[in-house]
Amino acid sequence: SLLSLRCHSQQPSDPSAILKLPAKRKLMPTVQGKAAQPKPAFTDEAVQTLLYKMTGLDLHKVFRPEKKGLKPPHYKLMTEAQLEEATRKAIEEAKTKLIMPPVLNEREPIDDVLAEDKILEGTETAKYVFTDLSYSIPHRERFIVVREPNGVLRKATWEERDRMIQIFFPKEGRRVIPPTLFKDEKLGTVFQQDRHEDVLNMCIAQFEPDSPDYIRVHHRTYEDIEKHGKYDLLRSTRHFGGMVWYLLSRKKADGLLIDMINRDLLDDATSLITLYHMLHPECQSAKKAKEQKLQGVDLIKVFVKTESQREGYIQLALQAYEEAMATSSAS
Amino acid sequence: MTSSPSTPTPSSHRAASFRLRHLCAPRAGRAAAMVQLGSRLLRGRGGHVIIRFALGGCTNRPFFRIVAANSRRARDGKYLEQLGCLDPLPNAHGEKVAGLNLERLRYWLGCGAQLSRPAEKLLGLAGFLPLHPMTVTGAERLRRRRQREQQTEAAPADGSAETDTGTGTGTAP
Repeated sequence: SLLSLRCHSQQPSDPSAILKLPAKRKLMPTVQGKAAQPKPAFTDEAVQTLLYKMTGLDLHKVFRPEKKGLKPPHYKLMTEAQLEEATRKAIEEAKTKLIMPPVLNEREPIDDVLAEDKILEGTETAKYVFTDLSYSIPHRERFIVVREPNGVLRKATWEERDRMIQIFFPKEGRRVIPPTLFKDEKLGTVFQQDRHEDVLNMCIAQFEPDSPDYIRVHHRTYEDIEKHGKYDLLRSTRHFGGMVWYLLSRKKADGLLIDMINRDLLDDATSLITLYHMLHPECQSAKKAKEQKLQGVDLIKVFVKTESQREGYIQLALQAYEEAMATSSAS
Repeated sequence: MTSSPSTPTPSSHRAASFRLRHLCAPRAGRAAAMVQLGSRLLRGRGGHVIIRFALGGCTNRPFFRIVAANSRRARDGKYLEQLGCLDPLPNAHGEKVAGLNLERLRYWLGCGAQLSRPAEKLLGLAGFLPLHPMTVTGAERLRRRRQREQQTEAAPADGSAETDTGTGTGTAP
C-alpha cells in the first residue's frame, strides 16, 4: 500500500546507520602522526634518511666542551688502527646524540566529566586534585581527576596532568612551573644571543612533544632562524631535521637552499629538493623532475625556475659555486 | 589480691606475652622474628589493619599521609605501608593536592583492611568509593544553616526597615 511505501522510503538506505554503536570512549585521545597517507610523515624511513644526511656530522661541534666541572685533559698514545677504532666509536656515539626529537600534532584538550554531584556545591572553597600513584602505569594512562567546589568530578586538563606528574614523579631538567624563559617576550632576548640550540634543548626537557608550548617555542625558534638566516647554528644538532621539516611544510626552503649552496653543500641541497618534492608532489618542479628523472644541479635549477621566490639570489649563488668549482678543478 | 580468670594480673600478663612470643617465634606469624610487636599490640588478640591519615608537618602547616597501619598503633607511629598523601592547604593554583596509590589500596582492601571516616570521605570525593553519606548530610546541614542565617539576617533588616518607614510616614506631612 502507499503507506508502507512511504515508510520504506523514509528508512535510511544503509543498514549500518540503524545499528550505529556509540563511539568508544578512550581514556586518552589517540596521538596522530604528522600527516595521513599519501603525504609522507616525519617518521618515514626515506624522510628520516634525507634529514639525517642534511644534518651533517661535525664531530667537533657535537662533542664540543660543555660547561661542566674542571678536569685536566686526558691524553692517550694510540696506533693508527686504534685511532680509527676510537673515531668509529665516536661517530656511533654522535649518531645516538643526533636522534631527532618527535614532531607531533598538538594534543586535543581533555574535557571529560565523570560525575556531577550538585549536593556538594558550596561545601569546599578549593578544588581537590587526585593522582593515581601506582608505580607500574605509564604516565599517559595515569588517572588524574579533579573535584571542583561545585561538585563536578572531571578529568584533569593536560597542564594539571603535567604538573601533578612532575610533582610526584619528578624528571630531571623539568620544573613544576615552566620557566619564564619560554614566554614570547623573553624568547627574543635569548635569540639575540644566538642561543637557539640551548632554548630547544631546555624546551625538550621541560615540555611534552605534543604540548602547545613545545610546538609554539619550536616554531618561534625556527621562524627567527629563518628570518636571520642563522641555519648553521642548528647544523649537526638533533634539531636540524625538525627545522627542515617545518620550513618545507611551509614552502620556505629558499633561505636554507642559498645557505647550503654558499657553503658548497650540493648534496644537502639536492636532498632538500628531493624532500620538497616528496612533501609537495603536486607542484610543477616535482612533476618535471619525475618525468625527466633529473639529478644534482639540474634538479636545483628546475626548482629555482618554478617554485622559489628568491630566484635571483639562488641563481647568483649557483653561478658563484660553478665558478669556484671551475677554478678549483683548473688549478 | 584475688585473680579471676577474666582480669589478668601483671605477672600472668607477662607470662602470657612471654608464652605467646615464644610459641609464635618458630612459626611465621604476627610475632615472627622479623616483626617485633610491642607489648601493647600483643594483648592476646585484637587489632586490625586500618587505612587512615597520619598527621605530619609543622605548626600551622598540617600534612597528611594516607597510611595502612595496625589500628592499635599511635596515629603517627610505625605503619605497614604509605598509600598516599594529602595536602589540606590549597597551593598557588588553588588546588588541594592528593596522591593515592590505588594499586596498593586495592591490595590492602582485599586483605580486609578497614577505613577511617576521613579516609572514606576522601576516597568518596576522589570517586574511588561512592560518596560518603555523611558528606551529603554535612552539605545539607551547611546549606540549611546558611539559609537560616540568611533568613535571620533578612528578618531584622525587614523589621528595622518597617519601623523606619513607619516613623517616616508618621513624620511626613
